[in-house]
Amino acid sequence: MPDNGHNPYEPTPMHIIRAYFESNDNSLKTFELTFDDHKDCEAFFNKYNPGQFCQLSIFGKGEAPFGIASAAWEGDFVRFTVQKLGSFTKHIHTFKAGDPIGMRGPLGNGFPLKDWKGKNLVIIGGGCAFSTLYALTKHVHHPENRLDFDQLVVIYGARTSGLCMYKHDIQSWYQREDIEIHQAIDVPEEGWSHHVGYVPDVVKEVAPSPMNAVAVVCGPPIMTKYTLPTLVDLGFAPEDIFISLEKRMKCGIGKCGRCNIGSKYICKDGPVFSLAELQALPADI
Amino acid sequence: MSEIKAKLRSEIERLLKDRFVDVFIAFKKADAPLRPQPAFFRNTNELDDLEYNGLCQNNLANYLTRYPKDTKIGIVVRGCESRSVNALVVEKQHPRENLYMIGIPCQGIVDIRKIFNRVGEEVANYSEFQDEVSVVFKGEQIKFPRKEVLHDSCLRCVHPNPINPDILLGDPVPEGDPSIVRQSVESFQALDKEKRYALFRQEAERCIRCYACREACPMCYCTECFVDHATPRWTETSISPAGTQAWHLIRAFHMAGRCTSCGACERACPMDIKLTYLTDKLNEDMLATYQFEAGMDDTTQPPFASFNLDDKNRFVV
Amino acid sequence: MIYILEKKKLDQTLQDWSSKYEVIAPQFVDGVLQFHPVHPNSELALNESINTRYPPKSLFLPQSEVMLRYNPKSNQLEDVKVLPEERIILGIRPCDAYAVTLLDTVFITEENSDPYWLARRSSTIIVGLGCNNPHSTCFCTTVGNGPFNHEGMDALMTEMDDVYFIEPFSDKGDALFSGLPIASEEEQLKVKRHQTQVTESMTIAFETENLKQTLDNLFDTDFWGKISESCLGCGVCTFLCPTCFCFDIVDEVQRNERVRNWDTCMFRIYSQEASGHNPRPTRAERTRQRLMHKYSYLPDQIGKIGCTGCGRCVRYCPVGLDIRAMLRAASDFESEVIHAG
Repeated sequence: MPDNGHNPYEPTPMHIIRAYFESNDNSLKTFELTFDDHKDCEAFFNKYNPGQFCQLSIFGKGEAPFGIASAAWEGDFVRFTVQKLGSFTKHIHTFKAGDPIGMRGPLGNGFPLKDWKGKNLVIIGGGCAFSTLYALTKHVHHPENRLDFDQLVVIYGARTSGLCMYKHDIQSWYQREDIEIHQAIDVPEEGWSHHVGYVPDVVKEVAPSPMNAVAVVCGPPIMTKYTLPTLVDLGFAPEDIFISLEKRMKCGIGKCGRCNIGSKYICKDGPVFSLAELQALPADI
Repeated sequence: MSEIKAKLRSEIERLLKDRFVDVFIAFKKADAPLRPQPAFFRNTNELDDLEYNGLCQNNLANYLTRYPKDTKIGIVVRGCESRSVNALVVEKQHPRENLYMIGIPCQGIVDIRKIFNRVGEEVANYSEFQDEVSVVFKGEQIKFPRKEVLHDSCLRCVHPNPINPDILLGDPVPEGDPSIVRQSVESFQALDKEKRYALFRQEAERCIRCYACREACPMCYCTECFVDHATPRWTETSISPAGTQAWHLIRAFHMAGRCTSCGACERACPMDIKLTYLTDKLNEDMLATYQFEAGMDDTTQPPFASFNLDDKNRFVV
Repeated sequence: MIYILEKKKLDQTLQDWSSKYEVIAPQFVDGVLQFHPVHPNSELALNESINTRYPPKSLFLPQSEVMLRYNPKSNQLEDVKVLPEERIILGIRPCDAYAVTLLDTVFITEENSDPYWLARRSSTIIVGLGCNNPHSTCFCTTVGNGPFNHEGMDALMTEMDDVYFIEPFSDKGDALFSGLPIASEEEQLKVKRHQTQVTESMTIAFETENLKQTLDNLFDTDFWGKISESCLGCGVCTFLCPTCFCFDIVDEVQRNERVRNWDTCMFRIYSQEASGHNPRPTRAERTRQRLMHKYSYLPDQIGKIGCTGCGRCVRYCPVGLDIRAMLRAASDFESEVIHAG
């Protein structure tokens, strides 16, 4: 019997080095974490692949899964953006720079970047689910990684401009030539010069070409429900459309049985699935 | 009993044919040996499966709270069950005018574990006639008095006759002697504190927090039970003396003035844990202090769910 | 090779073992048949015709297990090392032993093996007992197992007359019995004949050849609502099941412990999400999950049915639901509604 001596339930000790609100209503807060032990840092980045998530752990409060919102080249830290929703997230929102916190990860499969080499990437995100797509975009932005991919189109919708995450960085994307950025909000606002409308409609408007392209979608269920058919109508094959799924999780390593869709665990076999894979699974989400 | 079953069947047929009810809750034949099951009849052609005998061990009132209040529900009830239905009507869980109760005076529910313990685990072919029951074990038929294998709650039963049913099938049976349950409560009270706690602790130790007791109880219909509440967490979900004892005690207290001593909780428990000694005590207290018994009619409010200016304790104001 | 242990010598054997091992065997505790540590005064209940109430999976995956201890002030972790005693589980039935091997596929994995499960597994010797009188609620042969299967056991005992015939299946199992007399060829044949006879006497409760496909076809139908109408939504079937393994992880703040507790897909809050959405909002979806996990998803994942036919869910369901009847109903529903319609 294998016994590598590693306890997968033990959180890696981390500290918060930066904490700042993303949204004007303070419902979204970004944390950047560093490793207490450098060995853990090496082990993490050896495995890390954009699209993966971590379980953040606070002793006495429990754990919750969050998508990793940073790329490896950005530094020896890991970024998460947390939406204040339940008791755990409410508590973590009180944390500030210098506070200790635990982390288990990276978990999950992440985006299949090797399969996407040489392709056009169409990245479509909505609301606070954009974090892992942000990580993906940042990863692609690095000059070495950029060569692996052809065109890069990013469509990111938030309910209001105040709720948009990573505003400052995204502003700079408009000046770049290696990315086509489309931001959207639900209703018009004074001073907003980008798209207005729901993400599926913006996707129709932008009409990215399916030729040699993969589309990756991450957003609230209602957005995904209408974006997927839009992509299919545009000519994307189910094998070339990717979604990141969410379900209630506990162990994050495919043992507690909770997050299954059919015979697949979202934490272990996902959270990234192609539409083709999803169509072969029962509708248990 | 098969005469009663035939009467029950024809009454249910009438109700379904005339569309007097949308669904009729009764029992159907067993799949698992000696385990007739709650059934939900909607068409007369389903009634070949109808069952009614002493092995029908569930309190059917439990299912009322699953239906929207405008559903016309028919239900067969024995004594304690009819009281549970009344208690649910009082708590506004289903309007009385959308209920049709067929009452059957109760001879007591047979505790199947008593049969297993007495005869053996592999019994088949249960039958009952008047005050005797019989099973077949290793090819041999074995008979014994029904009284000897009744569930403990039924041995203490005070009200076996259904209360305010729409129709009564069968002749009323003698009411029970209230001193039996009173004596059982008093003899537990008479033990010294350490002994009482030791008994309570011993029973709670076996608990596996499956919540079968809660789910089998008609009065446990809260959409969120206190043990499931997370912010704040009132009790531990882990198997620990503190968590489990809290679970048993608090649930018993939530039953005060609402429990009809049907014993469905004990029959549902897979670990044979005694539970009714707690609720029987609380029921006796309600009787002594407020002269109140749950479900004796479908209008009187339970003392802890109502407030009058001339209530004994005005600390609530 | 089959050893012979006379029943009257069992006590002595247990005494010899107890100097090196903790022995756990079925006994009546407060009137309920359970696996319990053996003490000098213990009365073993090895030849009951019925299995223990509570499944022996609890000996490897305790219902509540402390995984980590932490210091709340410093937020530092104090890891919990599981160092169980070397122990022998005696008298486990084939359904329960086989279930342990099914759970091995969940807990022992290339990456992220469960250290708590591993520690208990590696310090345990499993001595099983074959079933001479399978109960009418047993259906091990229906799901590819049998009353004298030895999968998961270090040794299998077969009780006949006044002796136990013991077949070792591992070095650890052999070492426990190697001093004993060896059965003759004739005796060995007698044992095999008896085992075969009992196995063949069991009836098949439902067909399994097309079962997975049937259940997959029924996923979107109202079959599940129909068969679960009387279901209470309690946890009896899943907690007493030797193959169910779902667990919850909670921080118990009054003891500063991160604890793992058995959980069940039959509870509504099991899949309740923080947003308020619940992918399995009614009993119909939850019953579907339970049945399909065992008879469709686990076959997808490990090529085996995730049920060992122990019958506990049938015997102890408070409303008399019988999983065998539910699976037969699935085939009937499919032919009546899907193919006919």
